[in-house]
Amino acid sequence: MPLFRRRNKAINKIPSVNAPIAYMEEHKDAKITGNLKETTDFIIKLLGENGDFLMREFHVFGQYPATMFYFSQMVDPSMLNESILKPLMYTPPHIQTEQLPPERLQDVLLNNALYHSNCQTESLLPSLVKGILRGETIIAVEGLKQAFLIATRQIDKRGIEQPATEQVIRGPREGFVETIGTNLSLIRYRLQSPELRVAQMDIGRKTRSKVAICYMQGLTNPELVDEVNNRLKRIDVDAILDSGYLEQYIEDNQLSPFPQVQYTERPDKVVANLLEGRVAILVDGSPLALIVPTVFNQFYQTVEDYTERYLLMSPIRIVRLVALMFSLIFPSIYVSIISFNPELIPTEFAVAVAGGRAGVPFPAVVEVLIIEISMEVLREATIRLPQQVGGALSIVGVLIIGQAAVSAGFASPITVVIIALTTIGSFATPAYNAALALRLLRFPLMILAGIFGLYGVMIGLILIANHLLSLKSFGVPYLSPLVPGDFQGMKDLLIRGPLWWSNKRPSFLYPLDRTRNSGQSSTSTHEQSENALDPAKFQGGKEKS
Amino acid sequence: MEQTRQVTVTQAAAVLVSTIIGVGVLPLPLFAVRAADSGAPLVTFFGMLIAMVGLLLITWLGMRFPDRNIVQYSEAIIGRWLAWIGSGCIIVFFAVLTSLTAREFGEVVVTSVLKTTPVEVTVIVMLVLAAISSRNGITTFAYIHMFYMPLLIGPAILIVALSLKNADILNLEPIWGNERKDMLGGTVTIAALCQGSFILTMVIPAMRRPKKAMRASFWGMLIAGGLYVTIVIATVAVFGAEETKKLLWPTLELAKATSLPANVLERLDAAFLAVWVTAVFSTLLSSYFLTNQAIAFLFRLKDHRMFSIFLLPFVFLMAMFPKNIVQMYGIIMQVGRVGLVLTIAYPGLLLLVAILRKKRGKPLGSSKSG
Repeated sequence: MPLFRRRNKAINKIPSVNAPIAYMEEHKDAKITGNLKETTDFIIKLLGENGDFLMREFHVFGQYPATMFYFSQMVDPSMLNESILKPLMYTPPHIQTEQLPPERLQDVLLNNALYHSNCQTESLLPSLVKGILRGETIIAVEGLKQAFLIATRQIDKRGIEQPATEQVIRGPREGFVETIGTNLSLIRYRLQSPELRVAQMDIGRKTRSKVAICYMQGLTNPELVDEVNNRLKRIDVDAILDSGYLEQYIEDNQLSPFPQVQYTERPDKVVANLLEGRVAILVDGSPLALIVPTVFNQFYQTVEDYTERYLLMSPIRIVRLVALMFSLIFPSIYVSIISFNPELIPTEFAVAVAGGRAGVPFPAVVEVLIIEISMEVLREATIRLPQQVGGALSIVGVLIIGQAAVSAGFASPITVVIIALTTIGSFATPAYNAALALRLLRFPLMILAGIFGLYGVMIGLILIANHLLSLKSFGVPYLSPLVPGDFQGMKDLLIRGPLWWSNKRPSFLYPLDRTRNSGQSSTSTHEQSENALDPAKFQGGKEKS
Repeated sequence: MEQTRQVTVTQAAAVLVSTIIGVGVLPLPLFAVRAADSGAPLVTFFGMLIAMVGLLLITWLGMRFPDRNIVQYSEAIIGRWLAWIGSGCIIVFFAVLTSLTAREFGEVVVTSVLKTTPVEVTVIVMLVLAAISSRNGITTFAYIHMFYMPLLIGPAILIVALSLKNADILNLEPIWGNERKDMLGGTVTIAALCQGSFILTMVIPAMRRPKKAMRASFWGMLIAGGLYVTIVIATVAVFGAEETKKLLWPTLELAKATSLPANVLERLDAAFLAVWVTAVFSTLLSSYFLTNQAIAFLFRLKDHRMFSIFLLPFVFLMAMFPKNIVQMYGIIMQVGRVGLVLTIAYPGLLLLVAILRKKRGKPLGSSKSG
């Protein structure tokens, strides 16, 4: 193993530096001198101690000494062998390679020898190191003042699967994966338009995560794109491990329980939002894209609303909205009616409730709080447990504990029903982060209900509503298009209007091009449609022939 | 301070509607019936006309100075010191109005729903709510009103509609009323219930098109006034004039007397009152916001937020001043009449002087850039 011995010798000779970042800062402008030894030393000082770092010395065309550097687990070895090492070692038959001057050598290597499409030259030493860290391969040749950076990265990634959190019955089945390249290709594949722009930047001093900002040139308001860029540029942290980190740095109000940025793992949803005039942000290593600006109604809309027919999906959307309200106010209304205004409910029912509560020692608010908290514990446990056990636990929890609590006189049956409805209601909300906000807010509401009854619930709701009304996401009022009123937008608020009906993009995003479709392209405009297979036509034809 | 022109005509109208409809709706039929028996709807209508005149004066004045509010243009019209007195009076008056509204609703809640809760608690809760919300800018303020307006009109219409099955048209006749004891007094009292509409003086400078302010005030008054008259008609039609005189909050009794079809809720009063919290809140917010903004502009403060909390103890103490409900309603009537002078005569005077001295605000072109 002469290769390894040599490498080890070289590495042993040169001590590695203790503060790599500082060392790189110090030699920010260090250039390749043409002396291969110096280049090698610089790189080894920084990376030589790593077990997965490889350095391979060879001779280009059998005469010029050269060295290749890479991280062995980040590159595609067969590509390295076949399309880089082989053409460099073999002398191309049609080219005179004896005694080339350095400039000519570089030209020949780049233009005639290397069989690789993505190949750059680079003269700064720190950039070489960064390239190696990204998974590229560096080839430095004795005498050349520039080294070659070849994109040989190959990272193992998971296949494209169905999105785990946003499943649909009707609609595309693809979800984002971790690598940003794949995700961008998924978006481009759906949006084959020259208007789609992808701006890239690196965020995170240590992780140097690639962040891509996608928008539609000529459609998205440029001010929005600038603001997104500015907010992202201001971020100075050492690590961005997921788009969730970014979200917390760019949102408008960090104290609000309500999410002001939407995330999704569906490429089709990203494309739909880009086409409305929003901006999508993707982070390398995260399967969730961020979409800004976000308004509240996005949290109860799903992709399926648009893929299925509007007449059927409109009531379903309203059901979802009802579920959302359930998850927020149901327990507190129950508490206030039971403990303050039992006269509101019909007498027969009131008697039944009283009968159920006869053995329960606590006031309603305490009872509901206990059951609610145990429900939250149960829910958290189900999420954390391995999948095989989780199912069993939820059955045990819901059926057995609920039943046992009632028969032990610990809770009344109505309470269990209410809590169950609340929990199911919060599951029906498509956006997990919005459901989470409402789930948490119902606890203060319950306490207010326990103190002030319906009056307290209203006070709590007014506080929440006022907060929502004052909230903004990138300047867009959070409750748009309801407040401030926008008739066009309301067609897609409570109900999902027919596609040809909502022919304008949302006005609160101020897109440069407002028209979405001509409003004429559907058969529902009636004029042009013709009964192609009308039986009358064909029977008439048969008689004639 | 945030002075972006974002408020639309609809929002301005919504501000007016939800400001005018408030806790005053609860005793409204009582005031009307006391004045003129079965002529109550007519009295209410006249009250609305007076309020309309006041509102028109304010709107006219505001449109003359489209980029300034009343504190600012009164200085331009009648000079700094006189204007200081006028603005000071307005501030004090609306602080008092805020406290009385909070107290009135506190009494309603304590009397009918939370019987064991001290009135101080309900009052302070409402005031804190208004104080927190008045820290927002004028745009959010308009959004809040816009959002709550359907929540005020919906239940009121529902109650009226449901009560119609108990209504008797005979109760409304003669429409001129049998004994018109205090027609003028009643009219004035009812007009005084609409004093919240003074908030328009703060809204106009934030309107996108102040030229259309007149339309906003017309529609706002029409909707709110229409609702007032409807509620009085419904109450008198259901209870009759004599019965209504014995009820402290006839509108609440109206809610009590109705029930939803299919027996979903047996009684509506508690639910109605709960929903009515929003109505009271929006009225309270308007007067609190007005006081707060007026102080900020009077002292030329950059930020009105600081005062919203600072104002709270004063308003609360004033709210606790009346000893009981009877005394409170006495004070409300007195204050209301004084207020009418302030909210109608003072702007009227300003308008007159402005016309005589040919004072006029900058046309809007220059300030539209923002």
